[in-house]
Amino acid sequence: MQGPLIDTLARQGITRRTFLKYCATLASMMALPPSAGLAMAEALAATRRPSVIWLPFQECTGCTESITRSHSPTLEAMIFDMISLDYQETLMAAAGFQAEEALHNAMKDNMGKYLLIVDGSIPLGLDGAYSCIGGRSNLEILKEAAEGAAAIIAMGSCASFGGIPKANPNPTGAVSVSDIFTDKPIVNIPGCPPIPAVITGVLAHYLTFGTLPELDDKKRPKAFYGETIHDRCYRRPFYDQGKFAKTFDDEGARRGWCLFELGCKGPVTYNACATEKWNGGTSWPVESGHGCLGCSEPDFWDGGGFYKALSMPADPLKIGAVAAVVGAAVGVGVSVVNRVKKGAAKSAHETTDLADLEK
Amino acid sequence: MSLDAIPVHVINTTPAEPGLSGNALPLLREISELLRRLLETGETGTIDLSALPLTPADLDWLQDKLGEGEIAVTLQANGESTLNETACSGVWWVVHRNTQGAVTTQFIEVAWVPELVKAHPQDVKIGQESLELLISDL
Amino acid sequence: MMNDLQFLTWVRGPGLDIAIGIFLLGVLWRLFEIYSLGRKPDLSAPRHASGASGLHTVFRRSLPPPGMLKRSPVSYIGGYVFHFGLAVVVFLFAPHILLITNLTGLSWPGLPSQFVDLAAVVTMAAMVVVLADRINKPAKRFLSTFEDWFTWAVTFLPVLTGWMAVQHLLLPYTLMLAIHILSVEILLVVLPFTKLFHAFTLFGSRWYNGRVNGHKGVPV
Repeated sequence: MQGPLIDTLARQGITRRTFLKYCATLASMMALPPSAGLAMAEALAATRRPSVIWLPFQECTGCTESITRSHSPTLEAMIFDMISLDYQETLMAAAGFQAEEALHNAMKDNMGKYLLIVDGSIPLGLDGAYSCIGGRSNLEILKEAAEGAAAIIAMGSCASFGGIPKANPNPTGAVSVSDIFTDKPIVNIPGCPPIPAVITGVLAHYLTFGTLPELDDKKRPKAFYGETIHDRCYRRPFYDQGKFAKTFDDEGARRGWCLFELGCKGPVTYNACATEKWNGGTSWPVESGHGCLGCSEPDFWDGGGFYKALSMPADPLKIGAVAAVVGAAVGVGVSVVNRVKKGAAKSAHETTDLADLEK
Repeated sequence: MSLDAIPVHVINTTPAEPGLSGNALPLLREISELLRRLLETGETGTIDLSALPLTPADLDWLQDKLGEGEIAVTLQANGESTLNETACSGVWWVVHRNTQGAVTTQFIEVAWVPELVKAHPQDVKIGQESLELLISDL
Repeated sequence: MMNDLQFLTWVRGPGLDIAIGIFLLGVLWRLFEIYSLGRKPDLSAPRHASGASGLHTVFRRSLPPPGMLKRSPVSYIGGYVFHFGLAVVVFLFAPHILLITNLTGLSWPGLPSQFVDLAAVVTMAAMVVVLADRINKPAKRFLSTFEDWFTWAVTFLPVLTGWMAVQHLLLPYTLMLAIHILSVEILLVVLPFTKLFHAFTLFGSRWYNGRVNGHKGVPV
């Protein structure tokens, strides 16, 4: 075991002030009181590096890419110096039996204390045969690892909500982590991939306060998923003025108008892209001219098409024309019946004269 | 290829200067209260400006009211940070920027000296040790 | 159990399909039925009087008869305000226009969302006043049937839910938007088979009455 984190950082040329500044920014980002920045820095600097196990299931490694290729020179990666990442297939040097051994040792040594990060969804179809590691199904591995975990972090949309593997028709029977466990503390960090700062923010919160941050009803940290993309979007004034880009290359698009009509899912997507941005604050999808896909929302893949505006029909209307014809036919039918009735009444009509009335 | 070659012209309408929101004035009172506390108990205080609904006009107004002091500290730590004293001694305007130069957070710190400026005893000790080493080699 | 986004996608997809299907079926059915009824020709010699014709009546009935505005101001002013408000909200809000364009190919410019927002609030206020009047006035209350209360509700709900969605009130936007679209679909389904069908028959029936009475030389 290494000494306190601050020494490790110093060896990497990261000064105490850089670290303090980072913690202050992190605390501000998570809407914690300003004093939390200092508390965070003190707690993190002295932290004893909790064990973290990272299990990959039906995933694309995009989540790992997101976190490992965050800020240069990987300031977010700093947080990874604060944890002992005991199992991460993509990043670890060990393979095969040694890797499995590392996993089991970490679980045994830190029983009840380790953090479990999961990326990817879990297939339940064919008894989980769609995705196996070391001859064991994902479900089996997850259940074993979850047993002694203090908390589970579902990293990315697949682990949080099922993501692309769960997209219609869901051939593998993919489910999310929270579909499997109901009695474990779980935090969902959806996004395809999730924002690196959000990942590190949650880890820092856990390391500092020993608890998960405040979560919403979808188990997402409120600090990052509290508002929609649309509400924080710098193009929002154009929406309110009714100025929309109609194609990706028209005058409106060039002037940076609202992308609602081009299918932007910003209004129904809860995430922090508009404020945190991507690639070290360089830009984010809407700023680069493309509408939000809603990648951090459950079942975003089946949301009726990325390029269809929210107010447009999700599917082409199928029964409209048939219904119109049927309606017209019924109308004509009823009117024929009415006319027949009228005709019958007319022919059954008998004239009445004075003699009849006097009878 | 330069960005100009791309025919996209994004007009950043960062709240088209909607003017003062009225949220800046109460802040001055809060700063004054923090100063009173600093004088009485020595307790420092911080206000996170990024967490408050302030318009750019509000920030300008606030900066204008607080004025410029005598000390301006620049910190190079993963992007530039400035910790400037305002005309009001003990009130510091702290701005953190990332390596791209974008403002990440802004604070008002009420303290004798901002926390970040102080040297940490451990760091001082390391400095002293290396100095001792240097002297012994002379 | 559907999540919010699945619910939204359903109301934007199959739900909309079904609602528009029933709407078209009902509208065409009733239009054919009503206009094919026919009436016996009036064999009497037509009498002419100025202002007595179908067209005159279509316009005249849009104005309160002398003295009526004073006797029943809520009905007239409230009615006007909420009908015009509805038209503004339904036809001049950019996302609504987009839907209509997508369904019919027709397009026109919209209003800034703040105006539409204001129109929605005014519309709802007018509708509430009209409802209160219906409850308060014994004659109106006596004449009201279930259908009157029901159609008021299905007209009011789309405006309320749409406005609440935009304002982020009560429920998350996604769910509120889905409820809004569902409420509009209920309105579409109900419209052809209730008194709301006046949207289609209003001018036709006025013209008919004006014409029949015009033949008798009576401007109505």
